[in-house]
Amino acid sequence: MRATRRSLIAGLPFLTLADARAQRAPGQFRFGLSAFPPSVQAWANTGTAAATVKLLIHRGLLSYDTAGKLRGELAEAWSNEGAATWVFRLRPNAVFQNGDPVTAADIRWNLEQMAAERSTAFYRNEMQGIERIETPDERTVRITMKTPVATLPYWMASYHMGMVSRRSTPQQQIGAGPFILRGQERGTFMDLAAFDRYYKPGLPRLKDIRIIAYADETLRVAALQAGDVDLIEYVPWQSMAGIEADSRLTLDAVFGPFMYLVFNATRGPLADARVRRAIAHAIRRDDIVKAAFFGRGAPLEGLPIAPQSEFFDAELARGWHFDPALARRLLAEAGVAGGFTTSILATAQYGMHKDTAEVVQQSLAAIGIQAELRLPDWATRVNLGNRGQYEIAVQGTATDNNDPDGISNLVDGSLSPSYVRSLGLRVPALEEAMAAARAEFDPARRKVLYRDAQRIALQEVPICGLAWRSQGYAMPKTVTGFRNMPGALSFFSGITLEETAIAG
Amino acid sequence: MIWAAQRLAVSLLLVWCVASIVFLAIHLVPGDPAELLLSSGGVAPDPAAVAELRERLGLDRPLLDQYVAFLAGLPRGDLGASLVDDYPVLDEILLRLPRTLELIGAGALLAVLIGIPAGTRAALHRGGAFDRFASALAALLLAVPVFVVGTLLVLVFAQMLRWMPAGGYVPLAQDPGRHLLLLSLPALAIGKGLVAVVFRMTRTAVLDMLARDHVRTARAKGLPPGRILRRHVVRNALTPVLTVLALQMGSLLGGTVLVEYVFNWPGLSTPLLRAVEARDYPMVVGIVLVISALFVLLNLVMDLIYALLDPRVRRA
Repeated sequence: MRATRRSLIAGLPFLTLADARAQRAPGQFRFGLSAFPPSVQAWANTGTAAATVKLLIHRGLLSYDTAGKLRGELAEAWSNEGAATWVFRLRPNAVFQNGDPVTAADIRWNLEQMAAERSTAFYRNEMQGIERIETPDERTVRITMKTPVATLPYWMASYHMGMVSRRSTPQQQIGAGPFILRGQERGTFMDLAAFDRYYKPGLPRLKDIRIIAYADETLRVAALQAGDVDLIEYVPWQSMAGIEADSRLTLDAVFGPFMYLVFNATRGPLADARVRRAIAHAIRRDDIVKAAFFGRGAPLEGLPIAPQSEFFDAELARGWHFDPALARRLLAEAGVAGGFTTSILATAQYGMHKDTAEVVQQSLAAIGIQAELRLPDWATRVNLGNRGQYEIAVQGTATDNNDPDGISNLVDGSLSPSYVRSLGLRVPALEEAMAAARAEFDPARRKVLYRDAQRIALQEVPICGLAWRSQGYAMPKTVTGFRNMPGALSFFSGITLEETAIAG
Repeated sequence: MIWAAQRLAVSLLLVWCVASIVFLAIHLVPGDPAELLLSSGGVAPDPAAVAELRERLGLDRPLLDQYVAFLAGLPRGDLGASLVDDYPVLDEILLRLPRTLELIGAGALLAVLIGIPAGTRAALHRGGAFDRFASALAALLLAVPVFVVGTLLVLVFAQMLRWMPAGGYVPLAQDPGRHLLLLSLPALAIGKGLVAVVFRMTRTAVLDMLARDHVRTARAKGLPPGRILRRHVVRNALTPVLTVLALQMGSLLGGTVLVEYVFNWPGLSTPLLRAVEARDYPMVVGIVLVISALFVLLNLVMDLIYALLDPRVRRA
């Protein structure tokens, strides 16, 4: 092609574009989040995007390694003394980002603030279960609970339990994590820089991280493919195959979050456990995996205990297998052999909820239960759920950790009404088994107690498991050190950003 | 003067009506901001924490009290603070409104730069290949929804060709080149409909002018064709085109919602959508109030200009 003045002028904008495309701050790592964190307050629950940023700024007493095992953070060692007391030994070199050392008094102050009456801490109830906190020296914290709690270390490993300096203000909390929040533009990006006195030698490996919010999942993937970002979360299921096929990119996905049904058991046929069991046996879970998750999931035919968990039981995990004949028999035993009419509450705002509800509707129709779909926006759906204005509702979540105690929140009918659990559905035997397991320190006996709990749940159906869903991160192959944490810990993956590096 | 004062009073009344309707409507729809905030991630919030947060946010006060407090703040320019993070609503609007207006302005500029020359050329060669192609393209641009065009632009230029960033924003002062680069695709997406409208209006107006007596006279006098086109055709044809352009600018405000979302352009739409989802009442009411005020202001200015140009409007 002959180079003319006109072709040169025509090409100039693209030369300029190529220059502009290549611009990137040296050493900066760019992470495309699914939402802009409404707040990064250490103790409040403000969503999973905020959790990722909190894991950059804050550290608690404990956390998890990439295998999902507990590991020390601000505490280098921990143990229980008797049934109700836990002792944490702090690291000598842990400092807050203002340079102050992390002391036992700081930890005590944090726990007291979380438990305070006007606190909005996610773990407020749990912290109010503390009878006393002792600090015999600067590095030792002794926590005595009102009742024995074997799972207390899991609470301390939560991303809602970051410890902050007592010099923090409500506007600016001072953490002890590997990165310091340097600046942000609300709704757009956050800039974080490495904290040079982080207590782990040689970490963090990255110097700067820019968090960019991409609410649109398609654009998030496009930004990764275009090279605008180095890591994205919440990879949409429909894009996973394309990312796997791209030789430049890596997909890291695990089954962590899950979908399930809750019931309003205060009236009508759903108050009968046999009807709930019939529903549990009637649902074509493979269809949910295909329709809602593009095949990127797995049927969940029991309580949501991850296969990676030491408490997983393969036989009990299939307790609600697809069996429409059994479902019809159970309906007949309950006196509703001809079926009945009901409604399913979900939301049209999230495709996976709507698609799941549609498959459930079709499955129930096959055994004679005619269900009308109600699909308001998410805010309305939560509101209706909390007020018990539903019959059956579709819900999705992940537990706080891979210990079965994380399910208690979903199946314990003695807790306050909430859209995440069934309404008016108390199963005292299940509540007792879960409480006993929580108080049991011997792992073998805990396994027995959780097996009992699962058997009771399979009969009473306090919730009905539907499907595990794949939770994915994607990144270029040049990114190393980042890992999607196993099972329910997927949303804790931000903790591995301290070991993440990028070549080139 | 009295007429202008009456128009101003009517405009203020309109803004108050819109603000009141939005205030009441958003409070009437189901959903509790405190409950939603503490339910993030699909977890069960502690009812005591929800009650505490409701009290702290002032949501436990009677609706009338909240409404009076809202109205009392308006004369001071106080639109309240976000329920989600206590950020002043006015600051959020002042940060983001210029970006939305910039996007609309860039779309309008594209419409002028492409639509007017193309419309003129199509009229001059009526029935020719360019006219047929451009008219068909204009129909297509009007028919295809803005989010489809936006997604296609991202797919082609960012994902396939990798010439452009997929979306985002950099302040102009920080990096002018990248700012304009990031502006280009959303401006194309939002301006595409306006390009088509301006093209059609220009074509029609130019055809109309070409058939007028004064143009025929100019030709008969032997004036150069270029001069006839510039001075006697296009100049006169631009009046209706610019009127339509000004009217369409207001409607582009609605179109920015999708475009800003698709291209991650941090204008007013993102906080508005987020605020509706989170039932962040002050943010929703503040943003809708400002958008409505802009609409009303635009109409007021247009009315005043028309009245200045044509006294019959004032008498009517």
